[in-house]
Amino acid sequence: MRTDDQPTGPSASAPYRFAEQHTPPAPVRVSEVAQTTFEHVYEVDPRLMEVHVLQQVFPNWDTLRIMRSRADHLAWMHTHFAEKVITGSEILAEIERESTPVPPPL
Amino acid sequence: MTITEPAGPIGTAPFTTEPLSDDRLTALVRALRPVLADDQILLAKTDRYNRARVPAPFPVHRWAERVPDVVVMPTSTEQVAAVVRIANEMRIPVVPRDGGTGLTDGAVPHRRGIVVDVKKMNQIHELDLVNRTVTVGTGISMMKLNERLAKHGLFYPDDPASYPCSLVGGRIGTSGWSLIGSRYGHTRDLVLSFDHVLPTGDVLHVGDGIGRKISKSSSGYSLKHLFMGHQGTLGIATKATLKLFPKPEAELSPFWAFDNYEDAHACTGALARAGVATFAGAVLFDEHKVAYLRRDDEAYIPQPADVRALVCSVMYGYEDEVRAGGKRLFRIAKEHGARYLGDEISEGDWAARHDRYATPLHGRTKDGQVIPMSWHCEDAAVNFSAVPAVSRAWHEILADLRRKTDVFDDWGMFAYTSAATGVDYLTEIDVGIWEQRLDDKAWAAWVKAKRDIGAVALAHGGSMSACHGSCREGEVDLVPEELGRGFDVMLDVKRSLDPNNIMNPGKYLLDRAYGRDTTDENR
Ligand SMILES: Cc1cc2nc3c(=O)[nH]c(=O)nc-3n(C[C@H](O)[C@H](O)[C@H](O)COP(=O)(O)OP(=O)(O)OC[C@H]3O[C@@H](n4cnc5c(N)ncnc54)[C@H](O)[C@@H]3O)c2cc1C
Repeated sequence: MRTDDQPTGPSASAPYRFAEQHTPPAPVRVSEVAQTTFEHVYEVDPRLMEVHVLQQVFPNWDTLRIMRSRADHLAWMHTHFAEKVITGSEILAEIERESTPVPPPL
Repeated sequence: MTITEPAGPIGTAPFTTEPLSDDRLTALVRALRPVLADDQILLAKTDRYNRARVPAPFPVHRWAERVPDVVVMPTSTEQVAAVVRIANEMRIPVVPRDGGTGLTDGAVPHRRGIVVDVKKMNQIHELDLVNRTVTVGTGISMMKLNERLAKHGLFYPDDPASYPCSLVGGRIGTSGWSLIGSRYGHTRDLVLSFDHVLPTGDVLHVGDGIGRKISKSSSGYSLKHLFMGHQGTLGIATKATLKLFPKPEAELSPFWAFDNYEDAHACTGALARAGVATFAGAVLFDEHKVAYLRRDDEAYIPQPADVRALVCSVMYGYEDEVRAGGKRLFRIAKEHGARYLGDEISEGDWAARHDRYATPLHGRTKDGQVIPMSWHCEDAAVNFSAVPAVSRAWHEILADLRRKTDVFDDWGMFAYTSAATGVDYLTEIDVGIWEQRLDDKAWAAWVKAKRDIGAVALAHGGSMSACHGSCREGEVDLVPEELGRGFDVMLDVKRSLDPNNIMNPGKYLLDRAYGRDTTDENR
């Protein structure tokens, strides 16, 4: 996730309904050991959290809050270290432009 | 050899880990009262237990053995000097402590006594905009300092992965390593000078020559390096003058994927050797690190299976220079078969590097179940050419441990450039440790593994630590081997500056300076 984006999902001021809050989106398996619920929210496969550490139930707003505050934290770090971030894709595009031969004038 | 323990304040501090007797404690507190206010002398159990450990995993059932008798929180050099004088007269150990993030037990009071916590000395004393320096109390964090400096367009670029919570004095005590040191230098290059309280309580100004704001002098011995990286065994830095830079206009931090480790290693070397002025560092992630990240890190879980190694590079400077340098580094990466991982990962992961406390604090048993784990990091300084061989040998050591027990989990390795020319790398292996299960047997196995890890670095012409220090059980055993005759010089220096062995005793085998080898005691 780009640090200036925010994860999708209800905003912090949305009305609180218990059942709704405790029903995360249906999980989608993304690897042997992980699944997603909200976009960008990854979770350990619950089958791996059955013996020593049990998975906790978070209301949706809290899951999203954690994700959002992480994004805030990373954005803060960028501006703390430099006035501006240059993206790699801009640099790649510049290299591409420079390496494209300019057609001869007609 | 027969050794007679000193009975009272004659000879050195006793080589004991027992708490002070009630009488001695009462006498100590009575002596401290005229020097410090009541709220600067902490005796509560919580205050003392919280300053008894550092983040590096250790057998927690032995926590109570290293709790200080008293914690003091001085606010000035004079107060620190007075406390140290009292300790020296009473032969009571003194341990300097700053952020307490050090990973080699430096701030752990192995012989109890007084912990001098310098966090209240966090003032900015002088900002010199003309000569570009700032003078601060050593209890300030780089993050808080930079928040203040940003208002002046300035920046103090000491950037460990503990950036928000390690403090200037701890950086001096460890002679720390910075993520962006390839552009700006490391703590030893950035600290110009400091006031320092010697183990006798005398105050010394340490710098190049006698200068406060001098970056290069040829006058006398170069004492600055001696009084950095000593892990608090030679005294306490109280006020430091630091070199400042313009706050960077731009940052670029591309991450690239490789389908094999060899190409990634070659690429890292080529990036570092390119001589790009804005190049602040490159990091190589090996296959084990990628495998580890695929378990739990949102950025890496979705990566295709042919991503086996990674390289990131970071540049800081004016926008036009960063763009020009960035193009050169992108071309080099492409020549080595790199695939750009995209802006999201590149920006997010770099921003997260300044604060590695965010490491997921769990690992896996061999059958894949999640377990709570603490993070440990063994580091060494290794030449570029030796990084692959050291990595292979270290993973074998870890694999051997893991075959025996689930207490340890190999979390992979990073190799970070230490210098702009790419000569040497901070090579680190991250290890998950199930601290609650770290019984004496598992601890002994770990200490042996640490010793083996250190020995591999030495066998490849490296040094056992690029940033944390080598004080902990295991690696400390090899310090005399690493330093050779230099270790005898360490003993001579220690004895002459700390005649009573009160300053952070029990570290770095320095008890040998007082005729006592405590290497195997309390293990
Ligand atoms: C998540 C994490 C990431 C890390 N990343 C890095 C990294 O990238 N680079 C790096 O170099 N280190 C790193 N470290 C290790 C640690 O942060 C550094 O060693 C740091 O310099 C310690 O600073 P501190 O303020 O926490 O010192 P402390 O842990 O309090 O003390 C460290 C040592 O210095 C001595 N000391 C403390 N204050 C003084 C003083 N005023 N005068 C003299 N001696 C003193 C102590 O006695 C001790 O021996 C990391 C640690 C963690 C937990």
